[in-house]
Amino acid sequence: MSSSAIDPFAKPLPSPDPDSQPLWDGFREGKLLLQHCADCGNVQYYHEFFCRNCQSENLEEREASGRGKVHSFSVVYRAPGPAFKGDTPYAVVLVELEEGPRMISSMIDTDPNDIDFETDVVFTTEKINDDISLPRFRLA
Amino acid sequence: MSIRGKAAIAGVGLSNKVGRVPGVSPLALSAQACMAAIEDAGIDKTEIDGVMSTHCFSADFHRYSIAISEYLGIQPTFSTNIQVSGGTSAAALNQAAAAINAGLAEVILFTIGDSMLTGMTPDMALRAMSESRDQQYEMPFGIPASNTFAMTCARHMHVYGTTRAQLSEVAVTFRNHALNTPGAQMTEPITHDDVANSKLVSTPYRKLDCALISDGGVAWIMTTPERAKSMRKKPIYILGGGECYTQEHIFLMEDLTVTGGVTSSRLAYDMAGVKPSDFDVAGIYDCFTGTVVLCVEDLGFCKKGEGGPFIADGNLTYGGAIPTNTHGGLLSFAHIGNGGSTLHFIEVVRQLRGECGDRQVAGAELGLFHSLGGGLSSIATTVIGTEATL
Repeated sequence: MSSSAIDPFAKPLPSPDPDSQPLWDGFREGKLLLQHCADCGNVQYYHEFFCRNCQSENLEEREASGRGKVHSFSVVYRAPGPAFKGDTPYAVVLVELEEGPRMISSMIDTDPNDIDFETDVVFTTEKINDDISLPRFRLA
Repeated sequence: MSIRGKAAIAGVGLSNKVGRVPGVSPLALSAQACMAAIEDAGIDKTEIDGVMSTHCFSADFHRYSIAISEYLGIQPTFSTNIQVSGGTSAAALNQAAAAINAGLAEVILFTIGDSMLTGMTPDMALRAMSESRDQQYEMPFGIPASNTFAMTCARHMHVYGTTRAQLSEVAVTFRNHALNTPGAQMTEPITHDDVANSKLVSTPYRKLDCALISDGGVAWIMTTPERAKSMRKKPIYILGGGECYTQEHIFLMEDLTVTGGVTSSRLAYDMAGVKPSDFDVAGIYDCFTGTVVLCVEDLGFCKKGEGGPFIADGNLTYGGAIPTNTHGGLLSFAHIGNGGSTLHFIEVVRQLRGECGDRQVAGAELGLFHSLGGGLSSIATTVIGTEATL
């Protein structure tokens, strides 16, 4: 996406695609949905047309427990562009979900100093507008 | 199939100035570098029949390689743009060598120019780089371009005990190198304390752990070994190349402390028939200090987890195991976007030609070039050497 095509002062919002629409629908309902392969047992984040491991289309969508641990993290002091400047410092976290997959998001309602490796976190969502709720994490 | 010894670098060039270069367009910076490379090779521009380029951050081009060809007034019969982010610089070498070996072109010019420092505000330059993150799964969360590099470094510190002082040593070493390099963007010495006390960017990284943002243009000319011998400078041969693209998203990187450099370097070394201890000089992608720690391990200079002590022992400078980024790197020479590490490559070529004056690594014959980017999603390695290494 070119830098001139979008408003740099507005936070970028996702444009769901046919693969990911169910995932974003889930976020809107406060659910973290993972795809479980009925053939090989692979559990995947994010949604794909088929299993990333074995290409089976026999996928079951299940709601995750929402529990996870911080696998790594970085507290942002220099924002990536004007839209996030007012939020610093904030913690970006790579969370290992109880079901296995990792996902990346940022913490809300959390002092960045309270984040460390293996910190227990839980999934939550933050409503942005009627279409989009963003997945977030907070301390367990 | 192998590209070993089947292509050679005949010319290299930089824009008239690199660093802060206001009032010169990306294409003009690129064109200056092209003319310098053409002059270096001692050829006429009409001898170029292939042009390769990559993504420009500060201006929108769908076909940079064609735009720059027109700007130079040439009509190549082979043209392509490679966009694998920071990995482009080595990947372009591998792919140019393959194209020459396949007969698609005989004299290939690679070039890119960018104005990330004066052509964009600092906020917009950071935003442009972070836009390479996924629009659905990364960008909405305010994840900077530094993030994947910061989180991999943080994990490496957590698992292996890599220290602040070891990271700072990378920055201080490359700054010392830049002080010896005419035209480097950074001209003042720094200390460990300066690095450790510089402003926080994204933990564990501080400002002096991070690549510069710069303006500039780069170019090189590659041709067949036979043709290179008839040109002005001593040919520097492509001996091996390897690439590895392990994931697009950091949340699918299996082990945050291990990059695709393990595979890309093994492929390149095997093709070249060399081992890490054979190298005389290296250009290693240094977008962040901690990235260099991961790289020296994955490139096989030390065991996994020992990169910090290896660097602290002075192994990346003169007299050490592998003098690296003798021009100062992205941290202290310049960082011009996707072509940033082509500056490293040009430095390694000049070292192998013996053109580096005060900063020359004595007797350098075999060089390593390693580039990466896209949050460790793109990794490419190229091995080059003098005629003695063929």
